[in-house]
Amino acid sequence: MRIVVAHKWAADPQEAIVTSDGRIDQSRAQPCLSEYDAVAIALARGLADSVGAELVGLSVGGPEAASPLATKTALARGLDSILVLADQALASADSTTTAQALAAAVTELGDVALVLTGDCSIDRGARMTPAVLGGLLGWVTLTEVSALSLDRTSLTVERELEHGRQTLVLSPPAVLAVAAGAVEAPAPGMRDVLAAARKPVRQLALDQFDGDWGPLGQVQDRTLAPAPDRRGIVIATTDPTAAAAELIARLERDGLTWAGRP
Amino acid sequence: MPFHLTDEQEIMRAAVRQFAEAEVKPLAAVLDREHRPPLETIPKLADLGVLGMTIPPDYGGSGTDYLSFILALEELARVCATTAVMVEVHASLVATSILHFGDQAQKTRYLPELAAGRLIGAFALTEPGAGSDAAALTTRAEVDGDDFVLNGQKIFITNGGFAGVFLVLAKTSPEAGSKSISAFLVDRDRPGLSVGEPERKMGIRGSSTVSLLFDDLRVPRSALLGQLGQGFSIAMRSLDGGRTGIAAQALGIAQGAYEEAVAYAKQRVQFGQPIARLQAIQWLIADMATDLEAGRLLVYQAADLEDRGLPFSDVAAKAKLFCGPMASRVTHSALQILGGNGYTEAYPVERMCRDARITEIYEGTNEIQRLVIARAALR
Amino acid sequence: MSRLSHVIAAGRPVGRLVERARALGGPVLGLAVGPAQVADELARTGVERVFWFETGPDTPVEAQALGLAELVANRPGHVWAGRTAGERVLLGAAAAALGAPVLTDTVDLAAPDGRLVARQAVLAGRVWQTVTFDRPVAILLEGGSAESDDSAGPPAPVEPMAAQPYALRQTDWRPTGRAPVDLKAARRVVAVGRGLKAESDLGLIEALARALGAELACSRPLAEGLGWLPKDRYVGVSGQQIAPQLYCAVGLSGQAQHLAGARAAEIIVAINSDQQAPIMSEADYILCGDLYQVVPALIKALP
Repeated sequence: MRIVVAHKWAADPQEAIVTSDGRIDQSRAQPCLSEYDAVAIALARGLADSVGAELVGLSVGGPEAASPLATKTALARGLDSILVLADQALASADSTTTAQALAAAVTELGDVALVLTGDCSIDRGARMTPAVLGGLLGWVTLTEVSALSLDRTSLTVERELEHGRQTLVLSPPAVLAVAAGAVEAPAPGMRDVLAAARKPVRQLALDQFDGDWGPLGQVQDRTLAPAPDRRGIVIATTDPTAAAAELIARLERDGLTWAGRP
Repeated sequence: MPFHLTDEQEIMRAAVRQFAEAEVKPLAAVLDREHRPPLETIPKLADLGVLGMTIPPDYGGSGTDYLSFILALEELARVCATTAVMVEVHASLVATSILHFGDQAQKTRYLPELAAGRLIGAFALTEPGAGSDAAALTTRAEVDGDDFVLNGQKIFITNGGFAGVFLVLAKTSPEAGSKSISAFLVDRDRPGLSVGEPERKMGIRGSSTVSLLFDDLRVPRSALLGQLGQGFSIAMRSLDGGRTGIAAQALGIAQGAYEEAVAYAKQRVQFGQPIARLQAIQWLIADMATDLEAGRLLVYQAADLEDRGLPFSDVAAKAKLFCGPMASRVTHSALQILGGNGYTEAYPVERMCRDARITEIYEGTNEIQRLVIARAALR
Repeated sequence: MSRLSHVIAAGRPVGRLVERARALGGPVLGLAVGPAQVADELARTGVERVFWFETGPDTPVEAQALGLAELVANRPGHVWAGRTAGERVLLGAAAAALGAPVLTDTVDLAAPDGRLVARQAVLAGRVWQTVTFDRPVAILLEGGSAESDDSAGPPAPVEPMAAQPYALRQTDWRPTGRAPVDLKAARRVVAVGRGLKAESDLGLIEALARALGAELACSRPLAEGLGWLPKDRYVGVSGQQIAPQLYCAVGLSGQAQHLAGARAAEIIVAINSDQQAPIMSEADYILCGDLYQVVPALIKALP
């Protein structure tokens, strides 16, 4: 039995440089394994150990996803091995294309009981890839998972939803997106880093799989997002009472009233 | 000569950075304010494998290369110079000396304990009358039956307040000269050892810096590290590697201050624009960045030479001679950029300024480094 | 390309989604997942027909993803859904069935000549791009408030669907203490960030919210890392995206990922001790100071 953690080698959009004409320069942005993915791997490691399953990392993306730095970084977090599907066509793929590539790799791998993912990717943050992947595989899909346990035939999942904590029972296979704070993902130890170099890395090629991997839409133009048009009025707080009075007066001038508050 | 870190080195650096940001940085100001060592961090550093980086896996260490250890020191110093020097002395001076010069029994006994952080090491060389002139030390170790009996005094001993094992240098023969000095591994619980009150220092205030008094302190013959009379060369070999460690500490302090200054300059608005747009600030930043790049190459080069088994002593001295004053320059420039804010405890830069200064002094002053470098150049 | 739209309803009002789907000019079908009430409400929003996937009290809406996707595959068209966990999974299954791209962070959407033209905010809201699509798309958008859910005219017919759900059963439910909140509907919001020193200090911020007549919100770390507030109260690119009249950010630094969720506010007030915090350059009123002094003064001064 295999447990797969799908993770992404991607850069934080904060690190990218955007030129005044809306061009995105990612050359200074260092890709990394996001903390969301690190949490998913940490949770998956515990689960795999509890049932004696093999823990396989799965990374889909541009050519740099197959770099030894990328694979060893993920392996150092506790994966047993890693499967990579890297291709230029997947470099800035959207959620649907990424999910299609993940589904193809999961099917190729076989004997997969669970696919875990992080809460969201660091670069796009759309939080849709697990949902599309689950749809493609035809597997139950749940997000916001904060804890799980597995026995031979059933999976118990806990999740923190907006208004409460839910416990669910289902049968594998399933796709589960792990909530951001589900477990601690401490820094990998020095020994784990050295051990990562000795773990198996297997590469798949995109042309093994049928499908049109081109972009699903045509980008017509890009512009810098409009700058916020804010007044930037500084209210001194050396005297908090005076500051409060001034803020309230200004808000009232803006049309706010205090009548009819609940 | 292009310099590339290996994947493992990059990943270890990232791991230590994550650890340092989460576990070390929040303590830095507290340790400084309370003048106390980061005892709570020791088990965590051991779990991460940092305390055992210079110790092979056979002895319970993580057995990385020296450059990886240097990167770890740099990352720790970037957020807390106190934590960095604790690890540096422990792993670089003490563990490495036992590994290189210890017999099988000593290695088996001490190295796993040091790697696991159950014992912290301290290095006891300096005396009131023997600083830069280390060979002038007067602590005596006299043979008495199967034992050595130690008498004398040491000062400025880093980690001394809580160390479990001290590497002590003492004279074993009355003649002058380096051959009269031997090294001993002294356990903390030996009767006759008394530990003084911690020094109140300008910087690295959390670091435990104490005096030691040996009063008829008796150790068995098995406590002798290396050969009789080999102590001075053991100390010099340790300090060669230690220089790269202190240079890395200086580099890390400077890097931390630089990052604070850059972030501040981008946000701080004066004359209607972020001060980063002012040329006066840009020139400071440019000089700091250049200083850091140059220092980094020297430090990594020294560590890389050591890893490759090549002579590194003079390059390590150059790295320390450059990085100590560099850290003072860069931290002071950072403070200038932060202006009045930088002078307050609300920002870490004033602490970094104070912490940087010691890197020009300990484990060989600037002057001693010049001596080493000139000796190699004029050989 | 078909101009058909499907709007997914899974227990929350979706009136605005129906409105926007209709604005594209094609017929709009409703896909209701949940108890009968969900289907009945959807039927009154102006959709032409409602296909109803029933779930019992112990079955989450995710159990019906497969059946819903099958229906969409047989009637290809755009698919619309809101941003809750369940809505995302249903939308993802539909996107999978159609091979459709998922549009998130959509600023603007039009179908001028049969093609779909979307303006999207990308790179954590730093860049806007215009993208055209010649195929059905899945659109993730805020659903909208309850008031917009009643359209004139008779309700649309509801057709129960007999899809086989996933074997998925809720065995336990422990509600968090706080009542659910609809931040989108709030005209005023007070949001708190990591400047708050302790969970017990939340009372202070709640008191400010009450005094301002505002809902309480927070940044992501407070909802996820610290868990001081439930997740429906965090504002940001992956959380709630809101456009209130007043957004008062207290002890909140305002990283791009957070500001992307609040940028549409009419008035932004920042109370923060760090003059360098990004929020300070995106605020209308900047109070640089200790929130523990400023907030009590504000509460006291409010009439």
